[in-house]
Amino acid sequence: MQRPATLRLFRRGPAAEVKLTLLVLVAFALLFTDATYKSTNPVRELFSAALYPFQRFVMFPRDMISISNDWFDAAALIKSETEALQRQRIELAQVTTNAALLGAENAQLRRLLGVFEKAAEHPSVVVEVLYEPANTFSRRLVFNKGSRAGISVGMPILDEGGVVGQITRVSPMTSEAAMLTDEIISIPVQVLRNGLRLIAFGSTTPGKVEVRYFSSDADIREGDVLVTSGVGGVFPPGLSVGRIDQVQRSSASGFARAEALPSSHPERYRQFLVLQVPIEPDLAASALKPAASKEVPRAGTKSK
Amino acid sequence: MQALNRSKATRSSRAGVSPPPVPLPRPVGPSPIDHATSLGFVWATLLGVWLLSLLPWRAWPMSPDLLLLVILFWSLHDARRVGLLTAFVFGLAMDVHDVGPLGLQALTYTLTVFGAQSLQRRLLRFELVSQALHLLPLLVLIKAIGALLGAFLVSAWPGWSWLVAALLTAALWPLIAWLLLLPQHRLQDPETTTS
Repeated sequence: MQRPATLRLFRRGPAAEVKLTLLVLVAFALLFTDATYKSTNPVRELFSAALYPFQRFVMFPRDMISISNDWFDAAALIKSETEALQRQRIELAQVTTNAALLGAENAQLRRLLGVFEKAAEHPSVVVEVLYEPANTFSRRLVFNKGSRAGISVGMPILDEGGVVGQITRVSPMTSEAAMLTDEIISIPVQVLRNGLRLIAFGSTTPGKVEVRYFSSDADIREGDVLVTSGVGGVFPPGLSVGRIDQVQRSSASGFARAEALPSSHPERYRQFLVLQVPIEPDLAASALKPAASKEVPRAGTKSK
Repeated sequence: MQALNRSKATRSSRAGVSPPPVPLPRPVGPSPIDHATSLGFVWATLLGVWLLSLLPWRAWPMSPDLLLLVILFWSLHDARRVGLLTAFVFGLAMDVHDVGPLGLQALTYTLTVFGAQSLQRRLLRFELVSQALHLLPLLVLIKAIGALLGAFLVSAWPGWSWLVAALLTAALWPLIAWLLLLPQHRLQDPETTTS
């Protein structure tokens, strides 16, 4: 203790090996908990909240450039947008008259069948891509709004082409989304032509969605359009998912699989729509973990 | 040397020319082993390169890991301040930013710094290019561990881009180390110049 503070004859504190062992154990514990509880992790939330101001600070020049670009191009942008909207309005006018007719007919048929229609209007939030994380294992997007804007895990993300993906993690200011083509996403779909119900998964082929687990004589062919079926309650019915571009039938297994090209384009624009569908906590957990998690509490109650 | 200068000065004053200023005796600097770089510089470079790593250029899968290089540099040259814990915390921050498996980069950063620190005595006796050659197998090994562990966790092989990234990271070591040594004038090996 008499020693002056600058003189260090002996190493103080724990040995490097001890420190290393501790840190490696902590890292493994984090990896384990992160792999088990995918959507919530207090360490991640803490770091994410701490990182947010720095991320905004670093992205500030880019945001300024895009804002000033928008500002200077405003006149040209508005002109081209007006033209596009005019064209769309004319096209939609025809669709609307047709849809009104179909709607009336549908309502009448539903009355005949005794089926009640639930209003499928959901509030939504417009989000913007904050950044595209560098991750070799999976492709994700990070948006600039989080649980403060009413976003929660499991909500579907749309663009003008259809379903883009699903929210996988939320922090107060940001949210993380997995694309339709990610392997952790599964969406209940329907073939528009004949109403065949299927489940679409992210494909092992990059940039594709695949449907599997249907018998090889099922009526599905190239060019079929897949829309969400609304089964499961997370994705509202009727959203466009993709177009089948390859069907593989295996006579040996009796099953077939088909690949579809997504109709949405997550790589093209910065703005997306998050549909605020009501999500039950266990539904959100099961949406991102396809199996096994639901059995645990039931087994626990039985043993009591 | 100083005596020589002084005699020159007296001679010139005798000759009637105004005497050149006698060089003042300067205190001898502390030995390079005790010579600590300023705390501000260490943390400024670390935070600077960390902020740089938040930018989207890292989306290229083969991009070199500049943050790891700077952490490695300081863990070799200023092991009292920057060590395993710093590497762990920065790794965790990058994990959260990259939304990957939480703890994976923290683990690889910690292991890399440990490997480099156990090589420290040997490493610092070589010049920068040889240091890079020493770091290369370490970086490749630990990146491989990271890739295997990540592949196990997400059950998908990420491809071989991490290998190129490790090669590029090692190749950038001389440049980064040279840049960080510049303000400190410690290009010579301290242990050979002191004796």
